[in-house]
Amino acid sequence: MRDLVRYLLNRFAWMLVTVWLVYTVSFVLMRSVPGNPFSSERNVPPAIERQLRARYNLDAPILVQYVQYATGILTRGDLGWCIRLEDYSVNRVLAEGFPVSASLAILGLVFAIGLGIPAGVVSAVYRGSASDNAMMGAAVLGIAIPNFVLASLAILLFVFIIPLFPAGGWGTLRQVALPAICLGAPVAAYIARLTRAGMLEVLTREHVRTAFAKGLPKRTVMLKHVLPGAMLPVVSYLGPATAGVLTGSLVLEKIFAIPGMGSHFIAAALQRDYTLAMGMVLTYTVILFVMNTLVDVSYAVIDPRVKLN
Amino acid sequence: MAPEVRRLFLIVAAVTVMVAVGWASLFETTPPAQFSLQSGTDPKTLDPARATGNIEGRVLYELFEGLLQMLPAGEPDPETGLQALTPQPGMAESFELSSDKRRYTFHLRDNIRWTDGTPVTSDDFAWSWQRLLHPATACEYTFHLYGLPYAQAYNEGTVEVGDRVEVELWDRPGETPTSPANVKHYPRGTIRYGTLKEIRKPPEPTEQEKSRDESVELDWQDGWVYVVDVVEPRADESIDWDASATTMTFTSKTNSPVADTDSERTHGVLVAFDKLGSVETPDAKTLIVNLTDPIPYFPNIVAFYPLFPVNRNCVETHGSPMWTNVENIVTNGPYRLNMRRLRDRVRLVKNDDYYAADKVSLESVDFLSLEGQNTALNMYETGQIDWVTSPPESLLDELKKRKDFYNAPQLSVYFYRLNVERPPLDNPLVRRAIAMAIDRQEIVDEVTKTGQIPAYTAVPPGLAGYQSAVGFKEDVGEAKRLLVEAGFPGGRGIPKLTILYNTLEGHRAIAEVIQQQLQNNLNIGVELQNMEWGSFLDKVQQFDYQIARAGWIADYPDPNTFLDMWVSGGPQNNTHWSNKKYDQLIADAAKEGDPAKRLLILRDAEQIWVDEMPVIPLYFYTSINLVKPNVKGFFPSSQDLHPLQLLRFENDDAKGKP
Repeated sequence: MRDLVRYLLNRFAWMLVTVWLVYTVSFVLMRSVPGNPFSSERNVPPAIERQLRARYNLDAPILVQYVQYATGILTRGDLGWCIRLEDYSVNRVLAEGFPVSASLAILGLVFAIGLGIPAGVVSAVYRGSASDNAMMGAAVLGIAIPNFVLASLAILLFVFIIPLFPAGGWGTLRQVALPAICLGAPVAAYIARLTRAGMLEVLTREHVRTAFAKGLPKRTVMLKHVLPGAMLPVVSYLGPATAGVLTGSLVLEKIFAIPGMGSHFIAAALQRDYTLAMGMVLTYTVILFVMNTLVDVSYAVIDPRVKLN
Repeated sequence: MAPEVRRLFLIVAAVTVMVAVGWASLFETTPPAQFSLQSGTDPKTLDPARATGNIEGRVLYELFEGLLQMLPAGEPDPETGLQALTPQPGMAESFELSSDKRRYTFHLRDNIRWTDGTPVTSDDFAWSWQRLLHPATACEYTFHLYGLPYAQAYNEGTVEVGDRVEVELWDRPGETPTSPANVKHYPRGTIRYGTLKEIRKPPEPTEQEKSRDESVELDWQDGWVYVVDVVEPRADESIDWDASATTMTFTSKTNSPVADTDSERTHGVLVAFDKLGSVETPDAKTLIVNLTDPIPYFPNIVAFYPLFPVNRNCVETHGSPMWTNVENIVTNGPYRLNMRRLRDRVRLVKNDDYYAADKVSLESVDFLSLEGQNTALNMYETGQIDWVTSPPESLLDELKKRKDFYNAPQLSVYFYRLNVERPPLDNPLVRRAIAMAIDRQEIVDEVTKTGQIPAYTAVPPGLAGYQSAVGFKEDVGEAKRLLVEAGFPGGRGIPKLTILYNTLEGHRAIAEVIQQQLQNNLNIGVELQNMEWGSFLDKVQQFDYQIARAGWIADYPDPNTFLDMWVSGGPQNNTHWSNKKYDQLIADAAKEGDPAKRLLILRDAEQIWVDEMPVIPLYFYTSINLVKPNVKGFFPSSQDLHPLQLLRFENDDAKGKP
């Protein structure tokens, strides 16, 4: 237990360092690209642009801005006001968008795990059979097809040909189903392949042979002795998978008109919305760091050989 | 790790996953509104003074209402199907225009209320217009009010010795004399009125220092000390400028080297716009506007959303931009704000207190933030939305054949700016040669495909009473001759030109056609360069381009909106083009009281523009909309305005009321 706490504290310290680095790099990059948040087709008179800069504290010396914005985040958790979506604070954008993106990601991941692991297990157990070939074929396709293509096909199939789901929008489980499936499909495919490979590897181990020799039923051997070992690569993949699901969702958010926060990520950068872009980058950094830490911890839990340090 | 910890961890993980899934599948279900439309991207703001785009405009026209509003008049044009919209009574039931056409007297309706129950008064308009002009509001559309005396000086913050001024002290809510400015609540500091006697300036920075950093000059201006003879306002808040005065000094920077020890800190010294008779409010129901010049399109401007009133109490209580939050906002239009979620929707519901509420049919309207054109069309086809405002271009050929497809000319133009300081574009002959060598019909037939009209002038057709200047003719032979005359026979000696455009498939396709045509027709090599929007604007505004694409949508239905942007040094000019005679004609037109004469003057100005060709017009846009056949009251209009209060379902029960 002590080493777990020490490990978490250690990771937390590293996270702060990472976040600070990300903050600094984004801050410098954003201010060195051409254009500014107030550029528009109508030229803004200098006096008015100055008022706007003052409103967002962009008139202060660059170093002061750097320190003041960081202080605001650290002491008040305040990421400032969006410059382009000017009725909104960055915190409110995140508060509105994050639950939506998180719901989508969770449902997508659950779908991926729920489909991928059984498929992988079945494939491994009945290796070489027609169902194995079919499922692994599907998995290759699932990895190869980008999710926006999959989404278009899914819309054609399940919205127009067989009207099962609505074409877009957010608010009911039926509206989420299609995007969650499209989001989870490539992950499911990857998990299925990892599970199958893991199972096949563990099946050759001696403890499995011993289990069979003891006369344990096949089901017990598979579920108790093979599956846990086969899960290791899957679990380590879940960290990057979460990242993929969160960042990959921005295409699907657009196709299915979902009010998640993914779409702000690109829009903020394109519109030079300094504060919103910074808020998005920092949020993603923290999420990814937390997810990776969780994966590392669960790794240690599943595999007794792994020590946290 | 101990086995029990491991077991515990597994249990925690399992519970977490279950809770997460449970939480993720809980939804606040939002029943659809009675009428839904594709709004495009999210509205930037719901503050009429801060908004600029047509996406914001569409929402604001329903939330707020100005003195006048744009409503259909007469029968639709049989040829184009265009329905004319004219400024008609809104909050004002009538107005009178004085014989010199410079004084408008608006009479407000009796039964008009804000959504907080208080009546809408003439003071609301006076205050809202002042707020619009206040430099701290940083509104982009202030120039619409520049026809009012002192408006421009107030907006730009310029004062001269002898001006009657207002001074806002550094005592807005939450401010102390040394604190940073409270920019959310403005202008709430105590206002002092008086006559500006003197401006004491610290030593001026040298030109070299100024050119190094633009903030040097502004910082220097912050150090100015204003000496003002301050007078006390009368009990009715009017000012007797000649009353006995106390001399006081004010400055933004209290540590300015020329400040006195008792200089008071101020947010700024501005012309006392509201006390100098530009806008008069003799009583709560009468608003008098005095203009410097007769502006024949002033009623159109009054019906334009930046001039809509906002509720003073609401803005002052909550500050900007918090007053626009759903729980705070107070409005006066046919609809009120019910819900607003980013990337999702703005929901408006009918305002039952609206004076003409019985004429409004739709009970609730969703403005869906649908950026994806295909998504919008999918939702339209499956009945989730009733109006698509930007159908996918790739399907236009197919959609054009449908009955629910509305396509009509629009008051807007697509053009290429030329940087007239870059040789060889400094030569009007070359500019005209390029303009003449482009086959616009090919562009509108093969690329844009929705009946756009090839443009040979600055002003689109369809403006009542205006006869456009004589445009040039596409003529490759003539273009070649012009090049010979300019000293580039057969295009020899012309360096490669670069067309700059912002990244968008449609712009690229057009630029490619032009590239091909100039190569074939004039032997001029053209390179294409695309940039995303922010960098693109930067390049154009810094004149770092040769040819750059642009578009312009009419702010008001008058040729002036397409012509006054090209005056020398105009903020929208961006071409370095400057012509004294043109500037003079635009200024003369503004002063001309006779509408017919004025249009002739503008026509002369346009002729200069066509002859000099600082800009190559390509085509006039068309508006395209898809609206469900069971929706009545929808018609194309030249500014693509579609008041929602006119829409109704053919059979009111066609869609269940929520």
